Amino acid sequence: MGDTKEYKYIGKSERNVNGIEKVTGAAKYCSDMEMARMLYGKVKRSHYPHARILSIDISKAKQLPGVKTVIVGDEKTCPNRFGAGVADEYVLAREKVLFVGDAVAAVAAETEEIAQKAVDLIEVEYEELPPVFDGDEAFSRNPPAVLHEGLKTYKTIRSVPPRYDENRPNVFNYFRIRRNDVEQGFKEADIVFENRFQVAMIHHSQMEPHCGIAKVDGSGRLTVWGTSSKPYGMHRDIAESRNLPSSAVRVIIPTHVGGSFGGREPKAEQIAASLALAQEGHPKRPVKVRFTREEQLTTTTTRARYIVDIKTGVKKDGAIVANEMRTILVGGAYAGTGYLTARNGSFGPAANYKISNFSLDAYGVYTNQRMAGAFRGFGNAETLWALESQIDMLAEALNIDRLAFRLMNCPVEGDINAFGESMHSVGAKECLEAAARDIEWGKKSEPKEPHLKIGKGIALGNKYSIVPTASAAIVKVHPDGLIELRTSTVELGQGSNTIFSQMIAEEFNVPVSMVRVLNPDTDLTPFDLGTASSRSTFNMGNAIRKACKDVKQQMFELAAKELGSAADELDTEDSRIFIKGSPEKSLHVSELFIPMVIGGYTLKEGAEILGKATFYLPGITPDPETGHSERPASFYMFVAQAAEVEVDTQTGKVRVLKMVTANDCGKAINPMMVEGQQDGGVLSMGIGSALLEEVITDNGVMLNPQFADYKIPTTLDCPDLDNYKTAIIETAHREGPWGAKGVGEGTMVSSAPAIANAIYDAIGIRFHEIPITPEKVLTALKEKNKERLD
Amino acid sequence: MEVLSLTVNGEDIEAEIHPGTTLQKFLHDTLGLTGTKEGCGEGLCGACTVMIDGKAVKSCIILALQAQGKNIRTIEGLANGEVLDAVQESFMENGAFQCGYCTPGMIMASKSFLDETQNPTETDIRHALSGNLCRCTGYHKIVKAVLAASNK
Repeated sequence: MGDTKEYKYIGKSERNVNGIEKVTGAAKYCSDMEMARMLYGKVKRSHYPHARILSIDISKAKQLPGVKTVIVGDEKTCPNRFGAGVADEYVLAREKVLFVGDAVAAVAAETEEIAQKAVDLIEVEYEELPPVFDGDEAFSRNPPAVLHEGLKTYKTIRSVPPRYDENRPNVFNYFRIRRNDVEQGFKEADIVFENRFQVAMIHHSQMEPHCGIAKVDGSGRLTVWGTSSKPYGMHRDIAESRNLPSSAVRVIIPTHVGGSFGGREPKAEQIAASLALAQEGHPKRPVKVRFTREEQLTTTTTRARYIVDIKTGVKKDGAIVANEMRTILVGGAYAGTGYLTARNGSFGPAANYKISNFSLDAYGVYTNQRMAGAFRGFGNAETLWALESQIDMLAEALNIDRLAFRLMNCPVEGDINAFGESMHSVGAKECLEAAARDIEWGKKSEPKEPHLKIGKGIALGNKYSIVPTASAAIVKVHPDGLIELRTSTVELGQGSNTIFSQMIAEEFNVPVSMVRVLNPDTDLTPFDLGTASSRSTFNMGNAIRKACKDVKQQMFELAAKELGSAADELDTEDSRIFIKGSPEKSLHVSELFIPMVIGGYTLKEGAEILGKATFYLPGITPDPETGHSERPASFYMFVAQAAEVEVDTQTGKVRVLKMVTANDCGKAINPMMVEGQQDGGVLSMGIGSALLEEVITDNGVMLNPQFADYKIPTTLDCPDLDNYKTAIIETAHREGPWGAKGVGEGTMVSSAPAIANAIYDAIGIRFHEIPITPEKVLTALKEKNKERLD
Repeated sequence: MEVLSLTVNGEDIEAEIHPGTTLQKFLHDTLGLTGTKEGCGEGLCGACTVMIDGKAVKSCIILALQAQGKNIRTIEGLANGEVLDAVQESFMENGAFQCGYCTPGMIMASKSFLDETQNPTETDIRHALSGNLCRCTGYHKIVKAVLAASNK
């Protein structure tokens, strides 16, 4: 089980090291940054979902006083396509626009108002083309529209390349898992259920809208600041889409970023870069492109609609003998992160239960809407919505308690999942037991009035963390004892700066306040895959520990000479280095440096006390035909959530009275911050996605592009303090730093099914689509009553 | 252009502004007090919350000229030198923020509410903050922090 050893800093709820700036208003986010003689950029966007660009007239825009630069999609502005997995997107659309809001031109001007006026003066002539929005239609062999005729000619990423379908021209990725024989399994089953489940498109709604700032300096070098969670990915996209050598670009992400949740595709940054590079004359002025809330909600990446067809067979004794799924991630005009989400959404069902026969076909398809893909849970919340709803239905059909059924079938340490992988660090049972305890499973609450129905539901989930993965860290010891950490992990609010400071504090026996974490800067901080997939604690944590080992080695070798001992006889605490067992024989770090005439302090050799390390975990690429792999992921985070809901049968409104979550995160480096992740995942996105949130569109136009109508939970939508409980399950991972894994990504993969299973318990209606709005509840209740009367 | 005279965090300010300038833009862009953020520009998210004569308002839907002659308090004016206000301290203690973008508005709304309410219940606090959106925290630790600060 968990590591029960007491540490000085690990496992403690240290205060957020960046907290003071945040609570005093001192924190500067990208959108707060101002530079001398800054220009402001605005974007001209398509109002057609699918059209050929016939002509663009920018003459009137260029003549407007205060306008400095106007650019369109052409060979000069964007010679190459870019993309996370398949390079299918230009910075500004060339030849065709593929969604309402697709960027076709951009303006940089003295003020945002002038830039917007200029944008409105740009005249674009289009030839409309038939669009496709529906997922099934887009997926078909003969869809009403093909978005990327040249798909097969596009460059793709080497490490996890997408796979296409010969017969389906809009498919941008395909992945499959085949374990044993589902047909045989269905024959042996006593009960087989086959259902379709879907989720609506939802938006991350980060509180800071997307923003990018770009500046070309006197030597012609481009620096870009932004809100991206993947500085090195952004760096590659900016350089390679313009045929720039990688050293010609510098990417900086500020210490303060207003949330991500998987939705920070660097479009604003790319457009700012193009505006900065296209500027005529010298010196070149910095350009800021700040998306409005409406622009963010209507044009930036979302969680995709998902269509899941699932067939599951069980035996009377409760064993799950066969599970067959076809999942379609209904993506947007550009694959973006959707290419990987479509594939990796399969991991959740593959790992959730012991299923002897398993088959899954996962697809991602293009449609004429804005990009859709990664969102907290990365496809797993969507696929587990289907599985956990079906599991609930099967338990009822078998007359087995829904909790007991899950406990019977959930994996334990060493169990083989559908990849053929022996699972390590599996806290599924413990999570289910904790959630059941906290919701008081089995105890029925009395409704306050007859038209209010109360029910409880529970759901199990899991979330993997990605391989292949690499993180690098550099640790420097300053002469005054301060320890500086250079990593490219982005502090999004999750608390990475704080837990990394705790790790270094533990390694060096110094207070957390003696650690400083630099913000990501590709000139200074080494490579990291990206702040995603709940990978930072594990991967960057391991890189940091390795780098600390490297630094201490150097420090002790230098000190050994001074103290007249061997390096391995030394230890460090409070910036002092001492001989183990004889602590009075010590020196302060500063004494390793010698003062020089004129000023300053130097080491005699080696330049700095600087350690560096890479933590690289390639994993094993799944077999393309069977998905088989003994290490398809770095680790799994299990989660169980339970809800008690009250359904008002007169209004259709569902209230979450009580909700609990138990998350298996390995060692909790900072329990308060783990709770923070649990809180946001359940209370904001869990409840939001289950009951409130939906991007509503008509012919590709978003009808609810503001918080008045795109409803994310408020304080009034969440259960009271006493009715919300969290449990941290610390199932150690043998390769994790102090046994830690991660938490954020798994915090909502069980939320929607837990709530829907509770609704079923309350009113006996099974919903196959989320969000479960009052209108849907009332309609379903009416139909149910009609059936009873007929 | 119009002349605007007002007091911001105890400092008398006089400036010439375009009459269409919102109070949020005046504070953020003109005065450089970037704590007061634009989250939606339509008065729906509360990130721009400041106090005018002690009362919480959404500054993105108020014209700067409507604050003519008034006393404005922003997040930057809350702490007393190095000493944090009780609400700020409670947010730190309870981990009541993550990305921090909604935090200035959330703290100003909380502070204004607590200044005029004795012994609030949890329900009172939830209602008072229902106009401030947060995506990171689910409000749990925020409500906890404000409740704790109300007892100080």
